[in-house]
Amino acid sequence: MNCLEFRRHVGAEPSSTEATVGAHRDECPACARYQAEMQAMDRLLGKAMLVDLRPPRVADEGPGPAALRAPSSSRRWLAMAASLVAGVLVAATLWVSYPAPTLADEVIGHAAHEPMSWTAAQPLTPEAVADVLDRSGARLRPGAVTVTFAKRCLFEGHWVPHLVVQTEAGPVTVFLLGHRSVEAATRIEEEGYAAMVLPAPRGSIAVVGHNVSGIDAIARQVLEEVEWEA
Amino acid sequence: MNDDKGDKGRQTRFAALCESLRPDLVRFAFWLARDRALAEDVVQEAMLRAWKSFESLDDEAKAKQWMLTIVRREHARTWERKRLEVTNVDALVEAEAEVLASEDDAAVTEMREALFRLEDDYREPLVLQVMMGYTTGEIATQMGLTQGAVLTRLFRARQKLRAALEGGSPEGER
Repeated sequence: MNCLEFRRHVGAEPSSTEATVGAHRDECPACARYQAEMQAMDRLLGKAMLVDLRPPRVADEGPGPAALRAPSSSRRWLAMAASLVAGVLVAATLWVSYPAPTLADEVIGHAAHEPMSWTAAQPLTPEAVADVLDRSGARLRPGAVTVTFAKRCLFEGHWVPHLVVQTEAGPVTVFLLGHRSVEAATRIEEEGYAAMVLPAPRGSIAVVGHNVSGIDAIARQVLEEVEWEA
Repeated sequence: MNDDKGDKGRQTRFAALCESLRPDLVRFAFWLARDRALAEDVVQEAMLRAWKSFESLDDEAKAKQWMLTIVRREHARTWERKRLEVTNVDALVEAEAEVLASEDDAAVTEMREALFRLEDDYREPLVLQVMMGYTTGEIATQMGLTQGAVLTRLFRARQKLRAALEGGSPEGER
């Protein structure tokens, strides 16, 4: 199985247990990450599909077997609680099955997974950048930085803005992690990558560079250029 | 006398079945119809039909699949009978904003909207797989498709959702 076949298969069945899928995943870190992303997206999909639909009003019901009435609210809550417990158990099982990478590890992994994003050289329009940032309640100060890549990525089950900002030291990847709060700044370096995660007014911000010096200062400067909605 | 007992027992079993399956059936119908009121109508009508042909269900372990098939057909029938127009999706999203909104998770709300905007052909197999836990073979049977066609639809459905949720510029696309 090659990468294309793997992605087509996993894109249709993210939790596939086929041996050929497992074999390819074990030897291809990029595809392993792709599968993890697809599985995270499926968890989000599963939550999204569980819409809270009120039962019909008793007055609206016509004659027929009693079973056609909606379940009592206590039963509904019991069922929901049971689903929740089952979900938590599954998540906990998955969680303990894998060594937990740090947040900085995660952002480096994600940035490294998309090296093409660093090759984009054409500055994006402020509107294009705003379109990506809007739903996260953030914006860049006008003219503050040059953005050459902007899209929203699935990260830890949340859609987060993923930007590439051009700096004097070279391009850096910026993630606005509104869902993830950190208490203190964290820095990590591995295999030529340097990442800095800083507390932000909303969650945190992560900046990743490859063979870039002074990532601390760059990260703090980028943080200064982001405006956050109250 | 014995017939009465038999009817009573049948009613009790059907009641229990409906009570346990109803939440999933309504959700399934909602994701098909994208309309809460219509979903309720479809499930109500489907349950009446199921009650009338309950004797034909020889294995109650297959009740969920059997009921889903009835809901699916009832939805198609309702669609045909009412000659529902394909409405502007923005209007559908707006009409069901209350159901789609998740108070504590913006990502869930965004995903629901994206799912609402997905074409029927892609949304239905995805719901059957993710929400109902169907295998691709079961989805193929349910939808009268080949397994290959189901796999293609599931793959494209996720690609479309990803693209919708990632947003951004063409330069930013993979």
